[in-house]
Amino acid sequence: MTTLPREMQPDPALEERVVSALAGAGLVRRRRVWPAWAAAAAAVAVVVFGVTMFPGGHRPVKGNTYVVLLYEDSTYRPAAGEQQAERVAEMARWGDSLDTQGEFERAGRLIGPGEIGGLFIIRAADDAEAARIVATCPFHKWGGHIEVERFEP
Amino acid sequence: MTDDASLVARYLRGRGEEAFRALYRAHTPALYALALRLTGGDHGEAEDLVQESWVRAVTALRTFHARSALRSWLCGVLVNVRRGRLRADWRIVDAPDVEPIADPVGRDDAIDLERAIAGLPEGARDVYVLHDIHGYTHGEIAGLLGIVEGTSKSQLNRARFLLRSALP
Repeated sequence: MTTLPREMQPDPALEERVVSALAGAGLVRRRRVWPAWAAAAAAVAVVVFGVTMFPGGHRPVKGNTYVVLLYEDSTYRPAAGEQQAERVAEMARWGDSLDTQGEFERAGRLIGPGEIGGLFIIRAADDAEAARIVATCPFHKWGGHIEVERFEP
Repeated sequence: MTDDASLVARYLRGRGEEAFRALYRAHTPALYALALRLTGGDHGEAEDLVQESWVRAVTALRTFHARSALRSWLCGVLVNVRRGRLRADWRIVDAPDVEPIADPVGRDDAIDLERAIAGLPEGARDVYVLHDIHGYTHGEIAGLLGIVEGTSKSQLNRARFLLRSALP
């Protein structure tokens, strides 16, 4: 008799549905990439010590913790229309790539005045490696500037 | 450590979204194929089953032992979710108004077979799908469906007979 496949691909949208259901039930911790790259009015401020307000999370494998601050200063070129979603997706992919290397800790948005558009908390073996990681961040393409600082969580 | 065990351990460490997505992508095609056939080709119901199964599975993932195959364990969760739904809502026992499952390579004989499977009585269909397509033993099927092995065997024979009769 004819052999039938044991696997079939569902609608791609199902993945998002399932992840949302699990996140809503507190069973999956959402990757946090904020949607405000282009919204100058929604500029956020970051207090580095405030990162302690992020409890839990994964346990990345690399040694030191760094905070990566993304500044939407006067050189930053805000996205328009669909570019906004593309930027968010690109940053999400960057976070994914770090996660697979054990280099990703958190990405977040803290509300407040200022020109910092957001932050990532990453793990790296040393300052040089942190700099190499940050150099791969797609945020560079859109102007603004990035600061990276080591800190003890 | 197996790939599955690594994926599970990675997810349990931080319940991270990416870790879960890796598990999802590794096993959902098998879960979906099973769900689609158990529901007689009802895509919407199959997706709902897969979603609920993942919620149940993730809740219980700490009880999964790496010695067993994760995929089999997940498929077992799905079968039990399906049974729970049948108990909760008898109406879905009625044959759904569905499109036949499309075969990915468009072979007519496969399409005919999928259509014939969708038309099987519920009990015979469940056993046929689990045994002949997904490779479960009668002992495993008996455990999953809450029936005795003899019933599993007789349902399989019935399913095969009906399929032979239905196929051109």
